[in-house]
Amino acid sequence: MTSNLAELDATAQAELVSQGECSPTELVEAAIERIERVNPLINAVVVPLFERARAEAVDPALPTGPFRGVPLLLKDLGCHLAGVPVYGGTRFLREHDWHSPVDSFLAERFRAAGFVVVGKANTPELGLSPTTEPETFGPTRNPWDPTRIVGGSSGGSAAAVAAGLTPLAHAGDGGGSIRNPAGACGLVGLKPTRGRTSMGPEIGEGWAGCTTEHVVTRSVRDAAAVLDCVSGPGTGDPYFASPPATPFLAEMGRDPGTLRVGCFTRNAHTPAHPEASAAVELTAKLLAELGHRVEDAYPAALDEADLGEFTSTAVSANVAHELDGMSQRVGETVAEGDVEPATWAMAQHGWSLSATDYLRTLDALHAYGRRMRGWWRELPGDTGYDILVTPTMAEPAPPIGELKGASIERIIRLVPYTMPYNVSGQPAIGLPLHWTQEGMPLGIQLVAGYGREDLLIRLASQLEAAHPWQDRRPAIHA
Amino acid sequence: MDLAALDATAQSELVRAGECTPAELVEAGIQRIEALDPRINAIIHRRFERAREEAARRDPARQPFAGVPLVVKDASCQQAGEPHHQGMRALRDADFRETRDAWLCERFQAAGFVILGRSNAPELCTLPTTEPQAYGPTRNPWSLEHSTGGSSGGSAAAVAAGLVPVAHGGDGGGSIRMPASCCGLVGLKPSRDRITRGPHEGQSWAGLSTDGVMTRSVRDTAAVFDCVAGARPGDPGHPPPLQGTLQKAILDFPGHPPLRIGVRAEAFVGADPPHPETLRALSIAQRALDDCGHRLEEGGPSEVDDPEIPTLQGQVVAACLAASVAEWGARIGREIPLGELEGINARTVEAGRALSAADYAKALDELHAYGRRVVAWWGDHDLLLTPTLTDPPPRLGEIHADLSPEEAVGLRRRFGWLTPPWNISGQPAISLPVHWSPEGLPIGVQLVAAPGREDLLVGVAAQLEAHFGWAERRAPIQA
Repeated sequence: MTSNLAELDATAQAELVSQGECSPTELVEAAIERIERVNPLINAVVVPLFERARAEAVDPALPTGPFRGVPLLLKDLGCHLAGVPVYGGTRFLREHDWHSPVDSFLAERFRAAGFVVVGKANTPELGLSPTTEPETFGPTRNPWDPTRIVGGSSGGSAAAVAAGLTPLAHAGDGGGSIRNPAGACGLVGLKPTRGRTSMGPEIGEGWAGCTTEHVVTRSVRDAAAVLDCVSGPGTGDPYFASPPATPFLAEMGRDPGTLRVGCFTRNAHTPAHPEASAAVELTAKLLAELGHRVEDAYPAALDEADLGEFTSTAVSANVAHELDGMSQRVGETVAEGDVEPATWAMAQHGWSLSATDYLRTLDALHAYGRRMRGWWRELPGDTGYDILVTPTMAEPAPPIGELKGASIERIIRLVPYTMPYNVSGQPAIGLPLHWTQEGMPLGIQLVAGYGREDLLIRLASQLEAAHPWQDRRPAIHA
Repeated sequence: MDLAALDATAQSELVRAGECTPAELVEAGIQRIEALDPRINAIIHRRFERAREEAARRDPARQPFAGVPLVVKDASCQQAGEPHHQGMRALRDADFRETRDAWLCERFQAAGFVILGRSNAPELCTLPTTEPQAYGPTRNPWSLEHSTGGSSGGSAAAVAAGLVPVAHGGDGGGSIRMPASCCGLVGLKPSRDRITRGPHEGQSWAGLSTDGVMTRSVRDTAAVFDCVAGARPGDPGHPPPLQGTLQKAILDFPGHPPLRIGVRAEAFVGADPPHPETLRALSIAQRALDDCGHRLEEGGPSEVDDPEIPTLQGQVVAACLAASVAEWGARIGREIPLGELEGINARTVEAGRALSAADYAKALDELHAYGRRVVAWWGDHDLLLTPTLTDPPPRLGEIHADLSPEEAVGLRRRFGWLTPPWNISGQPAISLPVHWSPEGLPIGVQLVAAPGREDLLVGVAAQLEAHFGWAERRAPIQA
């Protein structure tokens, strides 16, 4: 029975435990065995927490949540456990062996759901890159082709799930960091609405409200069921997302009716890779066959050219603030050689900015979010669209090394499709609907109106049933 | 019939009953303003002709407040074609006018209200008194030598004097609750993001500031709130969900189990001890709540005494003011020099300009962390009862824009810093007029609920209103 655990999603693994066919310890031991055997090929797990996991799995106090005993990886950024290392992909924090003083609210909710954390997954330094190649831990390799990148920044998480090490893994998304690696690794990556999952107690918001936390999964039902477990405000959250009328899991298989769908692949400043165009065309055809009204239409805000500059200003200021915070926490000032050159360059830009510059940028981002969201149907009686379809990453995963030190233009060319919805706070999901002729996944992104994860899950479950991906296995798989 | 004595709900009932037309309500409001406002200087921009035209188009069959007159504060709640000066001389001299309605303004109008004008506010809404150099002081209808409080002081005076039954205000650190306290009104600051700031802004003062209204009756606060609250597509942050309408919350409240209410008499962050009349206001509120069957206990969140927080809040607001002054300069086509700002604001803007983006991000992070610590207290309490201000309304001229930095800090000690914590934490809070000093000056108390629990605030406010009957009380300067 345990021989095929790597094939099962988290819901199926949890059923084995709830039906008494498998113990939490068996699930956790099997995951540890898979990590030990397969991780050397992909470098996804950078901080193993095996002894801690074994102790939790046998502890009678392990909560009886819906995922009791299911092994989980945390990205080494954005979700912390008290007493457990947090390096965030930085050599500086690794050398100081920095440990979190507190549990994140999100970690408490994972625990209450019954998950057992077996390790922490690789991330580019401070989550700042769309490729997971931090100097301190080295590159994570794509299970579909180990010479290629996994995307980022939740790349360790995505690689681990794609290779079957754990059925799902925590991931965070400030500009595409759930959706892009999900797309590059053939996974489901749901970025929730701003405020849906709490960032507490450490912070109120990340990157001026752009970041949000959730998981990467193989199945849509896992994404929905985990969101039911981890969503809802933490004490003192500054922002809220309207709670769903029914659980997200209840959206599985629910008829979405006829949705108004727009498709976006290219415009004046976004050239489309042929494979990205093929992925969107395939999705458009599928959606039309399912009865949806599919049009070549997209929000006019996507034609604006200055979003990259605004987001880079907002993120740079926060990188400067983050390095200041690291210095304060460990009691030693972060110096130029302590972080990667790209991180240092962003921090320097950030340190040069005044609060007035920053606030002007935030105003511009908020105004952009309003223009963007005007395209969607958000209120009853609106005439807008329900769903926007785009690629996730703009091209099949490039070779490892190509993106290190690449120009900002090259990086934006790789990931032009995801950041707008971090700025607007909308939910979006990456789905593995397309594989290239070489057998590399190239994910699709569906974007819904603010607070409409219910609609995303309903539509994603319809697409999953119509065009299943569960039987596809990468070259490297446990 | 004495329309000035009626709250907005009663005025609208007259219209629905066919006893009065929207045009008559508006005309009566205009006459009251013309007769009385010169004595109190509450309304600095009038729009009577347009109001008359709009009154003719109001539809009592569709609009709950058809023809009920309203004034809006001259800060936020922008209206196309109307001035928006925030007490700034540079904008006044440029005769700056807005080109687009705020969505809140649209909602007031969709509910049937007719806006008669814009009310006075201190420059940049920074002081707890309404005495801008640009437009002169607003006087308190309860005593013309006293301040209305601030920053929504023009609006508070207009309602207290019976010029209009409801006025818009904004609250970034107490600017609805403080003037409500000083003018004997009900002043609800809702939860963060409850009322959209669009399309002009995403958030104001980093999310600390929110719009609202000041009224004489609790039912007006609830009914107006039910018309105008709610996020709009595109708002960067959304509010905590409400259980239902606030009108229903009032109706349902008598069936609510007793509330657990903490009482904190002392000012926060080491401020001066409260004035005896303030303590009297608190104790009569406490007794009334006790009579209503609630469970009262001493104490509140100890985090409100964190001495670092006023400085951090000051940094965030200073940065926002610096950005705002730069933006206003861009809109009138010339940079606004510090010399054109009132002294205290010039210093604040200068300090805001000197802050780095990283300082700002750090200060905001710390305010968010403070908000979390504060809100945790509500995990096992329903409400906190405090004074709104520790001192009775000050005399006009006591607080002015040329205060030295030390004197400005002294304001915090004098007034207790009881209102800003809930702007930081995003919690709803209400000031209620439970007491009048022997001199006849109103003194309010503040109730604070957990995020999203405006329903409890209006429910208990209605209970206290029935107990005290403050809606019947009329200021000596009265239309």
